[in-house]
Amino acid sequence: MPEKTIGTGSNDIPVIQLKHVDKHFGSLHVLKDISLSVKKGEVVVIIGPSGSGKSTLCRTINRLETIDSGEILIEGVKMPQEGKELARLRAQIGMVFQSFNLFAHKTIIDNVILGPMDVLHKSRKEAKEEAMQLLKRVGVDSQAEKVPAQLSGGQQQRVAIARSLAMHPKAILFDEPTSALDPEMIGEVLDVMTELAREGMTMLVVTHEMNFARRVASRVIFMDGGSIIEENTPDEFFSHPKSQRAQDFLNSIKDH
Amino acid sequence: MGIKELLSQYGDQYISALFTTWKLTFFAFAIAFVIGVIVTVMRISPVKPLRIFAEFYVQIFRNIPGASLLMVLVYALPYLDVLLSYFTCVLIAASLIPAAFCSEYLMAGINTIGTGQIEAARSLGLTFMQIIRRVVIPQALRSSVLPLTNLLVATMLTTALASQVPMNPRDLTGLVAHINTHAVGGVTAFLISALMYCATAVVIGQIGNRIDRKVRILR
Ligand SMILES: Nc1ncnc2c1ncn2[C@@H]1O[C@H](COP(=O)(O)OP(=O)(O)OP(=O)(O)O)[C@@H](O)[C@H]1O
Ligand SMILES: [Mg+2]
Repeated sequence: MPEKTIGTGSNDIPVIQLKHVDKHFGSLHVLKDISLSVKKGEVVVIIGPSGSGKSTLCRTINRLETIDSGEILIEGVKMPQEGKELARLRAQIGMVFQSFNLFAHKTIIDNVILGPMDVLHKSRKEAKEEAMQLLKRVGVDSQAEKVPAQLSGGQQQRVAIARSLAMHPKAILFDEPTSALDPEMIGEVLDVMTELAREGMTMLVVTHEMNFARRVASRVIFMDGGSIIEENTPDEFFSHPKSQRAQDFLNSIKDH
Repeated sequence: MGIKELLSQYGDQYISALFTTWKLTFFAFAIAFVIGVIVTVMRISPVKPLRIFAEFYVQIFRNIPGASLLMVLVYALPYLDVLLSYFTCVLIAASLIPAAFCSEYLMAGINTIGTGQIEAARSLGLTFMQIIRRVVIPQALRSSVLPLTNLLVATMLTTALASQVPMNPRDLTGLVAHINTHAVGGVTAFLISALMYCATAVVIGQIGNRIDRKVRILR
């Protein structure tokens, strides 16, 4: 039955779907038979110890890493191998990195309009108007003419989110978006993300911020050693973790 | 001959030689720059044969003496029925070599960019060439203004190769050689041209510094 609806963009098709994805780095088996799906408007939070493959999982969805076997579907469409088609599909999935990765030589506003102009072929004027609105939404519109190095980490990360939003993505992947931030700036970035979630953005978030996961997540996925160990609602997961590994992990972060 | 006699007798020729040197330098650097950018893009392209070719180019031209290259162009090409003017031969020699260095400097600039920005560009859906045009080359250029300024000066000095062939009009070094075969200009004849080289280099250096300060990327 799902075969029929593929590519129609109907609501029952997951925005992101992984089917039996495997990946190795040399002899290291980093992703082991990963299957998961993220439906429209869902916020899926991935947690797990360091080295469990969370970043790699995120990166395969955008094909920043290739996979050895399995399938990755974006609204039912399989990620192509290479070339223009890949770039086109990639543009539909936003990505926010731990280290912001703003373009160092461009002003904030130019960071935001690059994608819309070069990929979506919008005019500079149109792109700029929308970019200013987005910057306002994340609270950095007063910094539009500065360059990234002049902004705080928190501001840079909010710009990175605006840069993603400017592409009107079907979903946004966040890979530890607050891990590189000073503690006093974590809140401002989480606030923006919470707001996005409220507005119905589909999100896949790797994070160590358990409060954010508790409050915002539709589902929590716990990974360890390249496998999905547990998947549950945040309430269930945090109060009654089923697996020993999840219990150990939750205990280990409580001690901090 | 004293400096006064030299200047009164050869002053006009010094001026025109200076212009010839400038002209050679300008064109050689422009060509070197274009080739340097192209070679650099080839070096980072996903196409292996292009990468190999470009690496080969850089290794060859970074290591070949200018005079040897000029000799090849002047004496060997005619055997292949390629007849170039002396000016063209000097121009080619004085651009192929700096092009290799230009690429080396740009590669150094590229290495400061960091994979994160490239991945961000890829995830926005930019194609390889768009990433090169919008992110890689602009940043590489802006962080290699000073080495490229030095390369421009080095290119000017390389154009002194022109003195090795009977080029007309003569360049600064060619003129000194000419004067010293016809009169006893001695060190003074050389000093005048050296001064002109130096003055040009100083001006280039100043302009380079100014551009660098303007475009340098805050990190
Ligand atoms: N490019 C690579 N080449 C080889 N091994 C890699 C590469 N990238 C990641 N790895 C390895 O794959 C494993 C999973 O890495 P990954 O970055 O996905 O983990 P993670 O869950 O995101 O960890 P962290 O919480 O530290 O960010 C690790 O053992 C890591 O060392
Ligand atoms: Mg990680």
